[in-house]
Amino acid sequence: MIVVHYLNQFFAGLGGEEAAGLEPARMAGAVGPGRGLAAAGLPVDTTLSCGDNFFAEHEARALSQLLQWLDEIGPDVLVCGPAFGSGRYGYACGSLAREAGRRGIPVVCAMTPDNPGVLAASGSAYIVPTGPNVAAMRKALPAVASLARRLGEGEPVGTAAEDGYLPRGARTNVRVARLGAERAVAAMLARLAGQPGTEIEPGRDRVPPPQPIADPAASTIALVTESGCVPAGNPDRLPTRHADVWLRYPVGGVTSLDAGSYESVHAGFDTRAANADPNRLVPLDAVRALEREGRLGGVHEYFYTTSGVDTPVAAAARFGQEIAAVLVSTGVQAVILTGT
Amino acid sequence: MLITALPTIAQMTGMNRILRGVSITTPTGDESLAAGDELALRTRIVARALSLLATDVAPGTVWELTP
Repeated sequence: MIVVHYLNQFFAGLGGEEAAGLEPARMAGAVGPGRGLAAAGLPVDTTLSCGDNFFAEHEARALSQLLQWLDEIGPDVLVCGPAFGSGRYGYACGSLAREAGRRGIPVVCAMTPDNPGVLAASGSAYIVPTGPNVAAMRKALPAVASLARRLGEGEPVGTAAEDGYLPRGARTNVRVARLGAERAVAAMLARLAGQPGTEIEPGRDRVPPPQPIADPAASTIALVTESGCVPAGNPDRLPTRHADVWLRYPVGGVTSLDAGSYESVHAGFDTRAANADPNRLVPLDAVRALEREGRLGGVHEYFYTTSGVDTPVAAAARFGQEIAAVLVSTGVQAVILTGT
Repeated sequence: MLITALPTIAQMTGMNRILRGVSITTPTGDESLAAGDELALRTRIVARALSLLATDVAPGTVWELTP
């Protein structure tokens, strides 16, 4: 079994923040936490490393080099991290895991459940949840080594709940002794008894409700939509489905999204009523009315749009994060998002 | 906050402030109304959305247009 281990510059022993710009590096054998993996029964053949900042700033170059090495080595399993709560490191682990997973390499990562690397991995990796810092190393390494050894040797692994990794969003067929009807009735009886449960793991992307805005009359809001609303003629060719982009259009000085000037190109619903009055999708005319009455402080100078049709959750999450980053940086306090 | 006619799906995806919209194809409009009445409805919807944004909520809160 060939095992490759990915670390950032710090855990690879190459330096701290001053070394975060280091390019990808390749080392024989186990380094740093890799020795702990070996002690837990997973001997590491090759260690790959990259500076956290280098990966973040030159992701394509970093991935290209790391994947080239993986192609040369042909590992049976790749281990990334543990990255704990480190956002840059976790993101690098998750991104490398995603690309390696697409090449058919089993990957095990370890990080906190809210690390951006979990989303970056897109379900490609078996991610062992850890505590926020290196104090969690001792507990994480045996779990990582156990999963990685079984994956590398082609042995079956259990479900996320059984084996203690984060749900990957993958559903596999399993044989169960009891018929669906029996299980459904049992689930109903359990619910009536006050014990609701599910056989399907719910999504894990939960954020607490943001604090309320203090006073709408003193706030600037932005309008965002997944309804595929764009200027007439769709000048930037927003995809009608499987959109991989979001776009934004200026509304400074615009009082209403009038028919003929705007339209929806969303392929997932009948757009006739919306196209007769696009304010039915993006309520700009009503927002302006409240702004004139002084009940709303202001409206951000663009509206943001995509078409939410067959959109992978990871892509939608990325849109949300990117749009939110722009809005926060421009002082917007709240968003009215419309969905079709 | 999200205005949608599919609040259950919005809850499943983790939205926290949800206002039930008019219909799937026109979340902030109603083509059966006269233009002036429809703008009045839409203004009520947006005002209600602003109230929701200014309210402390539990995760997955769904509001109707009429309190």
